[in-house]
Amino acid sequence: MALFDSEFLKQLEYLSLVSRRVFRGSLLAQKRTMQLGGGIEFADHREYTPGDDFRYLDWNLYARHEALMLKRFQEEEDLHVYFLLDCSRSMAFGSPSKFDLARQVTAALAYIALADLDRIAVVAFSSDIVADFPLTRGKARILSLLRFLENLPAQGTQTDLSRVVTGFVHRNQRRGLAIVVSDLFDPAGFDRGLDMLRHRRYEPHVVQLHDRTEADPKLLGDIELFDVETEAARKVTVTERNLRRYKKIFDEYQAAVRKYCRNYGVGCTQTSTEVPFDDLILKMMRTAGAVV
Amino acid sequence: MSLAAPAALFLALLAIPIIVFYILKIRLRRVPVSTVIFWQQIFEEKQPRSIWQHLRHLLSLLVQLLFLMLLVFALGQPFFNWEILAARRLVLVVDNSASMNATDAVPTRLDAAKKIGRDLISGLRFRDELAIVAGGTEPHVVCGLSGHERTLLKALDDLPATDGPTRVGEAVALARNLIGGRSNAQVIVLTDGCFEGLEHLARAADVRIHSVGRRTNNVGITRFQVRRSLLDPTGYQILMEVANAGDDPVECRLELDLDDDVVDVVPLKLEPGGRWSQTLDKTSTSGGRLTARIDHADALSADNRAWALLPKREPLKVVLATEPNLFLEKVLEANPLVQLQVVREAPQQVPAETVLILHRMIPERIPPGPVFVIDPAAASDLWELGEPLENPIVTKQDRDSLLMTHVRLDNVVMPQAKKLTFSGHAHVLAGAVSNDPVYASIERPSGKVLVLTVNLDQGDLPLRTAFPILMTNALAWFSGAAGELREALATGAVTEVALPGNPATGAAATQAPALQLWPPGGGSPRPLPAGLAQAVIGPFDQCGVWSIAPAGSGVKSPAPAGAPTLEIACNLGNREESDLRPTEAALALVPAETLAAGWMTRPIWYYLVILAWVLAGLEWYPYQRRWIS
Repeated sequence: MALFDSEFLKQLEYLSLVSRRVFRGSLLAQKRTMQLGGGIEFADHREYTPGDDFRYLDWNLYARHEALMLKRFQEEEDLHVYFLLDCSRSMAFGSPSKFDLARQVTAALAYIALADLDRIAVVAFSSDIVADFPLTRGKARILSLLRFLENLPAQGTQTDLSRVVTGFVHRNQRRGLAIVVSDLFDPAGFDRGLDMLRHRRYEPHVVQLHDRTEADPKLLGDIELFDVETEAARKVTVTERNLRRYKKIFDEYQAAVRKYCRNYGVGCTQTSTEVPFDDLILKMMRTAGAVV
Repeated sequence: MSLAAPAALFLALLAIPIIVFYILKIRLRRVPVSTVIFWQQIFEEKQPRSIWQHLRHLLSLLVQLLFLMLLVFALGQPFFNWEILAARRLVLVVDNSASMNATDAVPTRLDAAKKIGRDLISGLRFRDELAIVAGGTEPHVVCGLSGHERTLLKALDDLPATDGPTRVGEAVALARNLIGGRSNAQVIVLTDGCFEGLEHLARAADVRIHSVGRRTNNVGITRFQVRRSLLDPTGYQILMEVANAGDDPVECRLELDLDDDVVDVVPLKLEPGGRWSQTLDKTSTSGGRLTARIDHADALSADNRAWALLPKREPLKVVLATEPNLFLEKVLEANPLVQLQVVREAPQQVPAETVLILHRMIPERIPPGPVFVIDPAAASDLWELGEPLENPIVTKQDRDSLLMTHVRLDNVVMPQAKKLTFSGHAHVLAGAVSNDPVYASIERPSGKVLVLTVNLDQGDLPLRTAFPILMTNALAWFSGAAGELREALATGAVTEVALPGNPATGAAATQAPALQLWPPGGGSPRPLPAGLAQAVIGPFDQCGVWSIAPAGSGVKSPAPAGAPTLEIACNLGNREESDLRPTEAALALVPAETLAAGWMTRPIWYYLVILAWVLAGLEWYPYQRRWIS
């Protein structure tokens, strides 16, 4: 079955209808910037200075107080939403694979953003940026996005979020939301990359995915562990004690991600691949109050 | 060390597939994971020791091979030569007599003895052999020499309690026959020591005695018999004896019941070790089951009750053909069972079930049926009359005949008798010194005939007590065995009985129903031989009333198919068994040392298998547990 079929598009439409300005709401803790401009929503007054546009003079105020005051309006600005999609080979692990769910989540969030007249861009990465879907706008672009995501393979040798973000932030682009969809299995740690996004005044949001067998592996005995990402093999004897230790380490890692996000006000969504993407999106929106 | 089954060593070839599987197994299963960063933390925290890491798989293989070798060696059934030389042959004599049913040991002395026996059996070494012999009622081998623990335990548990006498001495003799003079053999006696001869057994080198029970007081009925009164045909006499086999005086009551009617109640006061004995005269024509019981709670219940059987006496029709004779008429009228009809002429026909007594009136042909001829005055078809016998002195008397029971004619003055020459065979019950019969019986196909040649008008025979007894015996002989008393037997006794409805020969023998001997209070019946008129049954091992009855519908039918054809009362009636006080020799016995044969009570293969399984557990815990947990 194709990753993005007609049923998937119906679900996207449904999600876009039930959403209520997701990206400008409290989901991503995004505060609206007070950029004044040519909008229609009145903001305040300021004194007239030569060269100002006479059309914005408040003549009623001048008639009443004989003071030249210029009306200022809040400028409507479209939001830039960047999706940093992990397409390393570790994402291809699991059944269903984390990569499938990641692409579905990315597509869904992108569709909601496009429906809200925001701009989106997708950056696929593993050890480095491997593919780009350029900044775009309008719901009509969703099919191109879906085609891009569908053709995206899981690749790369090792996740390096820090290196990816370094390349990403040095691009000449506007700041915006940076949604990192990944398992965050970065040997160098996930925090450096997220730190860099924050420092560069992006608004990061983490969608961390994991498979059930990663959280609770059923391995016992003498086995050879084969890392699908690095293709490194290691002969180990897995005992019950080792399993208990593994689960503890895994849980601690998940907790570390949550703690980081909580400390720095970064949005965080952790989920298993057993959760369907639409349920996950609805859960995110309910958490944000963007859907009733 | 030798192997009983060396061919089993070929099973060691199973090591080859184990090694092959081991080689295949060390090629580890590859398991893909999304990342190893978490696993690295685990295994870098605790680096495996290199030597263990390298040897652990090899060690597992060695343990598995050792496990196999132990099993293979066990299948080879190894044994040491000294095991055969040191094997013991033991015979366990278990006293299951009546006194072993005493409850001074919980629950009984017999159960306490069985517990010791079980401990002994559990302590047998592999090649030891043990047999079990019952030492009560009838010594017999319960289980032959065997080393199989379960068989021995089952035989010991199935050994029944009996009410029979102690016969440990004979059982030990039987046990010695089983041992057969073999060295390293021993007879082990489990008894309460309440019998004579224990001292002699205790001194024997090949006998070890284990005593159970303690000195216990007991009161019991040691004799209980009933017999017909010699004077009263409807009367009976009861002989009773109650013994106090204790060290304290006892007051109790002895109650006699005939079926459900109380016959008598006798209060008793018994001194320590004392006995009370008495004979009671009672009358009854209806008969029934006579039961004696004493109301004294003690450790042995078997001797607190006793039984005797009193058959019903049927009336007997007698036709007396005589000239007036006061003695003869009165002796018959005095018999309450006799329905007497006196006639003055000899009848030609005798009614059915009627005894005809011909006094001097002799027809030419003696009529068929039972006929008692007294002082025949003429010849008949059965005899020729000779010259009178003057002063015949009885010198020969058949003391074994029922007709002569309690009758003695040798000192009776008989001035005159008839000399008879029988035409056929006649059994002389009493004969004169001249070899002439004085009292004879003739068995005819048409009926029995008794001939008494004595002239009753002369001499003192009618005045002697022998005369009514003789007449009573004669009438009883004519009426057959019905109504005769059968003495109460003591447990352990055997008796010969006539099997009613079980003719010895002829077509009726094949049609006769199979008979069984039913123990008192139910239980499994014992079949009796078919087609026999007489059978020896016993020994009786339970107190109570045994019955011979047709077999039920099934082999193990819980009840006979019909009413009992014969009943036999059986009582303990044994002073030795009622005395629950062990002899001094038994009390002096030192508690036996343990009978266990040491730690190696099992064959070597047993320990090898245990060791193999221990090894399997040791291998499983570090190597295999994770696969199945």
